[in-house]
Amino acid sequence: MARPGNKIIQAKLVLLGDMGTGKTSLVLRFVKGQFFENQEPTIGAAFFTQILSLQEATVKFDIWDTAGQERYHSLAPMYYRGAAAAVVVFDIASKDTFIRAKKWVEELQRQGNSNLVMALVANKSDLEPSREVDTEEGEEFAQENGMFYIETSAKTAENINDLFYEIAQRLAKACPSKPSTMNLNNEVQHRRKLFCCFG
Amino acid sequence: MSLDSTSSTSADDSPDPASPESVESQLGSVALSEPVAELASAANQVARNGVGFATASEGGDDDEEDADMGGEEGPVGRAEEEVWADYGGVGGLAAAEEVGEGLGGGGVVWGRTNSELEVDEPASPSSSGYAGERGSSGASSGELEIGEVVEDEIQEPRSDGVDGVLDSQASWVPGKRHVDEDDASVSWRKRKKHFFILSHSGKPIYSRYGDEHKLAGFSATLQAIISFVENGGDRVKFVRAGKHQVVFLVKGPIYLVCISCTEEPYDSLRGQLELMYGQMILILTKSVNRCFEKNPKFDMTPLLGGTDVVFSALIHSFSCNPATFLHAYTCLPLALATRQAAVAILQDVADSGVLFAILMCKHKVVSLVGAQKASLHPDDMLLLANFVMSSESFRTSESFSPICLPRYNPMAFLYAYVHYFDVDTYLMLLTTSSDAFYHLKDCRMRIEMVLLKSNVLSEIQRSLLDGGMHVEDLPVDPLPRSSSLPSHLSQPKPPTDSPERFRETCDWIAGPAGLWHFIYRSVFLDQYVSSEFPAPISSPRQQKRLYRAYQKLYASMHEKGIGPHKTQFRRDENYVLLCWVTQDFELYAAFDPLADKALAIKTCNRVCQWVKDVENEIFLLGASPFSW
Ligand SMILES: Nc1nc2c(ncn2[C@@H]2O[C@H](COP(=O)(O)OP(=O)(O)OP(=O)(O)O)[C@@H](O)[C@H]2O)c(=O)[nH]1
Ligand SMILES: [Mg+2]
Repeated sequence: MARPGNKIIQAKLVLLGDMGTGKTSLVLRFVKGQFFENQEPTIGAAFFTQILSLQEATVKFDIWDTAGQERYHSLAPMYYRGAAAAVVVFDIASKDTFIRAKKWVEELQRQGNSNLVMALVANKSDLEPSREVDTEEGEEFAQENGMFYIETSAKTAENINDLFYEIAQRLAKACPSKPSTMNLNNEVQHRRKLFCCFG
Repeated sequence: MSLDSTSSTSADDSPDPASPESVESQLGSVALSEPVAELASAANQVARNGVGFATASEGGDDDEEDADMGGEEGPVGRAEEEVWADYGGVGGLAAAEEVGEGLGGGGVVWGRTNSELEVDEPASPSSSGYAGERGSSGASSGELEIGEVVEDEIQEPRSDGVDGVLDSQASWVPGKRHVDEDDASVSWRKRKKHFFILSHSGKPIYSRYGDEHKLAGFSATLQAIISFVENGGDRVKFVRAGKHQVVFLVKGPIYLVCISCTEEPYDSLRGQLELMYGQMILILTKSVNRCFEKNPKFDMTPLLGGTDVVFSALIHSFSCNPATFLHAYTCLPLALATRQAAVAILQDVADSGVLFAILMCKHKVVSLVGAQKASLHPDDMLLLANFVMSSESFRTSESFSPICLPRYNPMAFLYAYVHYFDVDTYLMLLTTSSDAFYHLKDCRMRIEMVLLKSNVLSEIQRSLLDGGMHVEDLPVDPLPRSSSLPSHLSQPKPPTDSPERFRETCDWIAGPAGLWHFIYRSVFLDQYVSSEFPAPISSPRQQKRLYRAYQKLYASMHEKGIGPHKTQFRRDENYVLLCWVTQDFELYAAFDPLADKALAIKTCNRVCQWVKDVENEIFLLGASPFSW
């Protein structure tokens, strides 16, 4: 929860990536601590919120979990527009999803938002035996594109909190530090302003 | 107005005879010339396993159909056989003879196999397919057309002991079955009712059974038939062959085909294909046609990834939701004040720039409001509710998704904010603006507050348990206005521990004069009310049979050239069916097969009176956007 005198960051976060890579699973693990073996495909996009408290700030995430199905690709801008953070997800056991992830990164780069915090997430790290994308390959691509790279498993919960914690930290750093007088309960009127630092 | 036996314009105790003329005129108009060779080879392909389907296996009776639609079996191959034979008869004998040989191995009795195949539980090997693949590693294969068991009530394993008391939704698991089948599988050929969607170049888009990609050959065959006839300047509408019907629907570059031996009327099957097409448009909009303009060989299947559950749920509803043939919607029964509270708050948000605000409980409307001038077609509502209810994703969290209402505007996406208040009750706010999410979310919170404050949500749950109109509550004394609202609708029932529906099957007897069930459709309101099912029709299978009977009645009552008033009385071994159509309403009623005709007619009058007496509670009056 918010600490007194702490700044509050309201940040829109969007998850992108091929279908079945585990976007919804990552979010459900982070927001509700749940995991389902047979998570259904997302329709359009699902909306979640979660709050992370750091030493220096409290980050309120507005999370857009988009559908990876092809028919929704052209509508993605509607969801990533105005985002402060983007999480591009692929499945380590599928080369195709990595190729797809690269395309998402390119598309995001074209938006020219230099402040965008981007993460490249190699999910399903529990499927090591069937790995198709090497860690080095992922890391290298992430570095070239100014993203941070992390391997996660929504199934075992490995690195899930670290992923969001790291994003929160980067957002806090990017957000000029001022002591906040804003109360969390005022969120409604500020909901439309995304990634704004109150204070 | 009242119904009496003398005013019946057609009182007919026997089922109406089939009308073969139309079939003949269809086939007669097909001028077969040179493509006979093509047809013959296609027919050979159909026949290539040499499996005979000559026996209809008298699974043809609806009784043999599993309560679960997934279990429909039938000798589809036979339809093909006779289709080809018929074509041959018109155009070239060669084709017919080849077919005759190919399928010569008939005479197989499928009875036993049928009943085995009809067992369609989630765990059965034949239903694995996609469900497993989505699991863990398989997810990378891109096979997202899954049919997993969902988390809520649908998950209950089937138990035949109680199938009579389970809501059809409860015992039926959505999703694609039998993906391991293709047109070479015996089981595939025996399915009673197939649905296909294919492109004009013959590329498979959707198949109810089996993996679309494995059905490329079969799709090409269907495409050959359609384009062959289309090139001749004619349109294939259907081909009838014995118990089988092949119904075609051409929608620009998209072809829809139903092959069925369920004895449903052509109009009904065609209506079902229209809904299948509408469902596709709801997901993609009609602008998908442009893909075919650019590339006639365009493969559409990836665009429909993950939507098998939506189509299979729709097909399932063809046999358990009368809205699919009545083109009307139904409301959850609620006290007038309760509904008015719900309407008022939805009206409030509609005034703030929401196009449609719809509050539903399962497939029943709680309240519905449209922005000025906007009108929502009942079919659009059906398709939207089917889409939302069959996609588990909407239950996970609030969401904002593009959807298209085919009757409202087939070319453009609207945006739907969907939120579940509880497992059954959900709110849909539709808008034209792609950045209205936060506004709609605020609207939802306002609505939720009001619904909670005025106990609407708990009233909804109570109504769900109580059910709607029960035939045994039909007022005996038809002096309505003084003794009005005699049903339980107006009398709060003490809460019961076990759901009402379990009680029903134990101690229900049918209503007066052997009345089992009725559906009343208000023409003006585009709404219908259907009574609860009593013991004699308690199993999903029996209900499906009754709906099919109603559907047939509906089709025959809506054939061209009928006057404003019409009645029909039919008696067969299953029921007495009575249908009464006026300008204002349509009544379909089912009685015990031994029911007395005069009494039945009298009872129908009482039902109509009863419906009028409680119309405030069972219909959404006034604020309906349909009436604008
Ligand atoms: N083994 C393993 N399976 C996972 C993991 N994360 C997700 N899954 C499974 O992968 C499948 C797809 O997960 P989803 O979370 O629905 O994937 P998605 O990216 O949201 O898919 P779309 O909504 O269609 O775009 C599900 O069956 C999950 O159970 C993981 O870390 N390890
Ligand atoms: Mg998802």
